Amino acid sequence: MRGWSTAAFLWLLDKEWRALVTSRSWWILLMGMGPLVGLSFIGAVTTYAEVSGLNGTSAGVGEALSPLIGIWAPTFSACELAAVFLLPFVVIRMVAGDRQSGALKLEMQQGLPAFVRAAAKAMVLVAGWLVAMLPPASAVLLWKSYGGTLHAPELATLAAGHILNAGLTIGLAAAMASFAEHPSTAAILTLSATVGTWIVSFIGAVQGGWWERAAGYTPAAMVGEFQHGLLRLDTVLIAIALSLTGLGIATVWMRLGIAVKRRLYETAAVGAVGLCVIFAATQCRASWDTSEARGNSFSESDERALGRIEQPLKIVAHLAQEDPRRVDLEHRAISKLRRVMPQLEVQYVAGTSIGLFEQTSAGYGEIWYELGGHRTMSRVTTAEGVLEAIYSLTGTAPAAENEEPEFRGHPLATQPKGAATLFYGIWPGMFLAAALVIRRRLK
Amino acid sequence: MEAMLCEVKGLSKRFGAIAALEDVTFHVRRGELLGLIGPNGAGKSTLFECMAGVLASDSGSLCAGGRAVSGRARTELLFYVPDGISPWPEQSAGWALDFTIGFLGGRAELRDEVVGQLGLAPLLGQHIGTLSKGQRKRVLLGVGLLTPQPALLIDEPFEGLDLRQAREIALALRVHAERGRTLFLSIHQISDAARVCDRFVLLSGGRVRGEGTVPELAALAKRTDEDLEEVFLALT
Repeated sequence: MRGWSTAAFLWLLDKEWRALVTSRSWWILLMGMGPLVGLSFIGAVTTYAEVSGLNGTSAGVGEALSPLIGIWAPTFSACELAAVFLLPFVVIRMVAGDRQSGALKLEMQQGLPAFVRAAAKAMVLVAGWLVAMLPPASAVLLWKSYGGTLHAPELATLAAGHILNAGLTIGLAAAMASFAEHPSTAAILTLSATVGTWIVSFIGAVQGGWWERAAGYTPAAMVGEFQHGLLRLDTVLIAIALSLTGLGIATVWMRLGIAVKRRLYETAAVGAVGLCVIFAATQCRASWDTSEARGNSFSESDERALGRIEQPLKIVAHLAQEDPRRVDLEHRAISKLRRVMPQLEVQYVAGTSIGLFEQTSAGYGEIWYELGGHRTMSRVTTAEGVLEAIYSLTGTAPAAENEEPEFRGHPLATQPKGAATLFYGIWPGMFLAAALVIRRRLK
Repeated sequence: MEAMLCEVKGLSKRFGAIAALEDVTFHVRRGELLGLIGPNGAGKSTLFECMAGVLASDSGSLCAGGRAVSGRARTELLFYVPDGISPWPEQSAGWALDFTIGFLGGRAELRDEVVGQLGLAPLLGQHIGTLSKGQRKRVLLGVGLLTPQPALLIDEPFEGLDLRQAREIALALRVHAERGRTLFLSIHQISDAARVCDRFVLLSGGRVRGEGTVPELAALAKRTDEDLEEVFLALT
């Protein structure tokens, strides 16, 4: 019995896995991961050690050092580089290879739905990406062997962020590889889309408004959140929706024997469904701060106090887009406020993007708070200053000093012993040996 | 007279200003060895691709039992082996046959026989990407012969083969046709087609110029001799 059957799907998975392990691009990605991770990890451990008091730095400087920010964010950034510059070629090779070789013409006659074929490719590519994440995972063991501390939730969040980011790349590159006639065109289109997201981020930083909001959902911004241990439901859902939209478009163009006009309509339909899901996802407010340092949250007592405020809070900040104080305000206070106050409205007012010539203007730098008909003004951009302004409007005293233990950091003054051997020698060597053995066995 | 397996009705396909197929209509009988003959650029491959659903046709249909067959049902009726492809280049010929059985629902009981008929035994461990054109063609024929569909469309089955191999493969195809499988072969060498096929569809300039056995085509061309090449020239 042909068609949709487990046996046929397993054969397809076997074929896709063989296609992956015989592709040079995947092995190049794997061999590149060791040195990339090594470079980041060794640099991060060295810097962390220096700040922690090694080599004469005053002891105690490194207090409040978080391994998430000091070690894992830079170490796993190798995954971000690989996802942007190496993974697309692996995906394009997997998707476009069937059409180039003519295998697609034979396989499509099996009658298996195209989305199942796309799913098989995606599953194998995700598995391939998980193998590529072994070197950063080994860095965790190395760090532990140095006596470093780990906070599993924040590490899991970071790893999940990089898997989602890889999913975005897989969706995008698969769509481009199916859509474009030639793999080189697909590569150019994929990299163009990536560069496009960077442009959106740049314009968002300068223009603000909707650009800034859109920039918040680019892969780079998404990874940035995960790097800080912030797990936002809307970000996760949007990443999944974008990945599935890419795979959906890949499915449309992977099929043969369908008129181009119909495929264009189907692509538009898939895109429209994807946009609807993304729009719906933007309405989700749930988020979790998985960082040990609670770097994305106010203290628990402040959060409880803010959660009791039922009226909408409006903040109007007279700060230009590129003013460092605005970045301070946004990162130190507003982003935390958004997580606990759903009825928060923030408005930035400025005549220019840099604000350089507005400094002398009356009112520039003022931050106005409006709650329940009361208004107050402050110029302070720190979390404490913002909370003070809000509490002055609610008429409540600032939350009492809470009893919860404050994050004191985990300074660790150690050398990255064995890291160079592991990342520059063992990992590339192991992957090279595996490539030779597996490719020879398949021959 | 064999029962009809399927019928192609009014099939047309254009590539921009070029009409690759125009109102192509003919019958395919169950268990026959049907030859699609025509010069280069006649539209033979396009016709096969449209029949197999690999290429979208502009109009026309493939009918079986009086009903139009499309989508999934078409993949149950026929299997198409294209010319000039090199599928799964990193995999061995043996794996390709196993994949055909496992994924495409091929007939495992025929594997050894097909390997013997096509002389594939020495190639089973070799990468498809490293095979010569003729060797690759034999592997693809093996893939096609293992598939379970009642009709098999093969584009240029003798392309890249030497005379001895071509004759051996013609014999093998005959064996499969005698067991009831319908084979529809696109052949641009008319002498090859004349040696192998029972009936012919003559295609030229995207149009069917004739359909039938050699005597039927000779009658259509108003010729007394039954030389297929002469008949073809007279009709095209």
